[in-house]
Amino acid sequence: MTTRDSAPRDVSVLVDVRDLSKRFGEVNALESVSFQVASGEWIAMTGPSGSGKTTLINVLGGLDTPTSGHAIVDGMDVAALNEAELTRYRARKIGFVFQQFHLVPYLSAVENVMLAQYLHSVADKREACAALERVGLGDRLRHRPSQLSGGEQQRVAVVRALINQPSLILADEPTGNLDDANERIVLEIFRELHAEGHTILMVTHNPAIGDLADREIRLEHGRLASPASITTPEAPKVKNARAPETANR
Amino acid sequence: MFTRLLWGILRSSSGRLIVALLALTSGAAVLAALLTMQADVQRKLSGEFRTLGANLIIQPPQALPTAREINSAATTTLLDASVIRAATTAGIPGTSLAPYLYVVAQANGRPIVVAGTWPGAALRLSPSWKLVQGRWMDLPHDDSECMLGRDVAHALGLAPGDQIRLQTSHASPRLIIAGILEAGADEDDQVIVSLALAQQLAGTPDKISLVAVNVPGSASQMEQARRRLAAALPTAEVRPLRQVTEAQGDIARRLRVLVASMVILILLLTLLCVLATMAALAVERRLDVGLMRALGGSISRVVSLFLAEAALLGALSGLAGYLIGIVLARWVGGRVFQSLISPQWKILPLTVAIMVAVALAGALPLRLLGKVRPGAILRGEA
Repeated sequence: MTTRDSAPRDVSVLVDVRDLSKRFGEVNALESVSFQVASGEWIAMTGPSGSGKTTLINVLGGLDTPTSGHAIVDGMDVAALNEAELTRYRARKIGFVFQQFHLVPYLSAVENVMLAQYLHSVADKREACAALERVGLGDRLRHRPSQLSGGEQQRVAVVRALINQPSLILADEPTGNLDDANERIVLEIFRELHAEGHTILMVTHNPAIGDLADREIRLEHGRLASPASITTPEAPKVKNARAPETANR
Repeated sequence: MFTRLLWGILRSSSGRLIVALLALTSGAAVLAALLTMQADVQRKLSGEFRTLGANLIIQPPQALPTAREINSAATTTLLDASVIRAATTAGIPGTSLAPYLYVVAQANGRPIVVAGTWPGAALRLSPSWKLVQGRWMDLPHDDSECMLGRDVAHALGLAPGDQIRLQTSHASPRLIIAGILEAGADEDDQVIVSLALAQQLAGTPDKISLVAVNVPGSASQMEQARRRLAAALPTAEVRPLRQVTEAQGDIARRLRVLVASMVILILLLTLLCVLATMAALAVERRLDVGLMRALGGSISRVVSLFLAEAALLGALSGLAGYLIGIVLARWVGGRVFQSLISPQWKILPLTVAIMVAVALAGALPLRLLGKVRPGAILRGEA
């Protein structure tokens, strides 16, 4: 049975998961999972295949609804939201980065970023171009996904996830389809995002990413494998990871 | 961004969309052709019915000047011949008429009904008349010739070129038989002579029994003309020949039902084709939709994209189909009516509106995509 740790008073809790369960028919994908994530933390979510990592990410991202329990993100209980509210929640609070990139193939790099802006509110081409230039894609703005390398596609996906300044970045194996060189580039971007105070919850099988993150939350058979404590400047980290620089933001 | 997205999905699915566009355009072309012909058909039908002969009769009030009754008894009430001029100047465009005066005369010792008329005009108003032997007598004032109905000719044993003597108390002219006609009606028992000669036989100059009138146009136009003639001819009764007007109305009604049935059938077939294409498109676009929904796209925003795509397809196909439909209608019109079908511009917005509606209905599978759960789609479960 996993335990839920309360957040220390001086840490702003962004994600508060309480007794979260998700069933798919007879299968318990998640079973009474509880943990908290402080604002600005980088969490590496690990575990074997089928342990419930992606399900947890999907519930936190409002792509799936839990069977029971609560998933409170930035003050909103995802379990209590209806379809329209979930849509608004995804647009305003969440930035997704997928393993398969999931870029729209018939839109250019900048249009893929503008798509997220458009679905959120209003597309701003100048802002989208500037964001892509920041990740080194200034000369690839008009390229289609098929004309970009895997690393470049994932950088576009990261920019798309961040363009609406979400509260929480959910990344599902973001380097899973990348070679070493591109993995380093993408991880460097995540490191910078973390340094800027973004809260990142990243599913990974890569131990190196676990080392970069503030904390590792390990799932096994839909349950937490170990207690999950919030990282604070004073508290020891579960894994060898840096403390969030803007935990009290 | 909406336009970019719309252009993007149009380009990305151009193959399937061309199939949908072709189906919609084909449907629109047949629809526009049928509607164009339907709109033009009243005029064509009126023209065709004009060849069926008179559709109005001007007769003395309360009189029964039908040929059948005249066969058994002489008419007692006659019209003044001035009604011919009054009917001609009543201001009804396209009207053609033929006056008749019926007289009973003796020929070879037996009573014969003699119909005095303007032979040329009467022939034009009587398309059922067929020349069996000889030639037509078509000079309006030729008092030396006559035409014999088939049965009269048979009963009297006469042939073209023979002479016949008609006798009344007022005149007894000897006439050359120009030809034998077959009408399939009362005229088969009559002798056709000029109106002037019939008036001599009757001893009633400037009198006629009736005027047969043909008024072009629809049933309502015919009724309008009837009222106008009745107003212009207060001493006469103007009545429609119901068989003709009802037949015209009946054919117009049947044609409308036929066109409506074909339009519905074609639209259903078009809809099925668009539905099948859009269903395949919906499968192709699941991932895009799942992604847009995952990025926070509302159902209405995502679905509006597909509806705009469908509406654009419908509008384009409506426009193209209308132009093709005009060509089709002209071709069919030339073959069926032997005349040119005029383009009906009012059909254009109607065709476009109908095709947009069909395309939107056909986009149902794409609309349903908005309801799928993005998580399931991104996991590849839906």
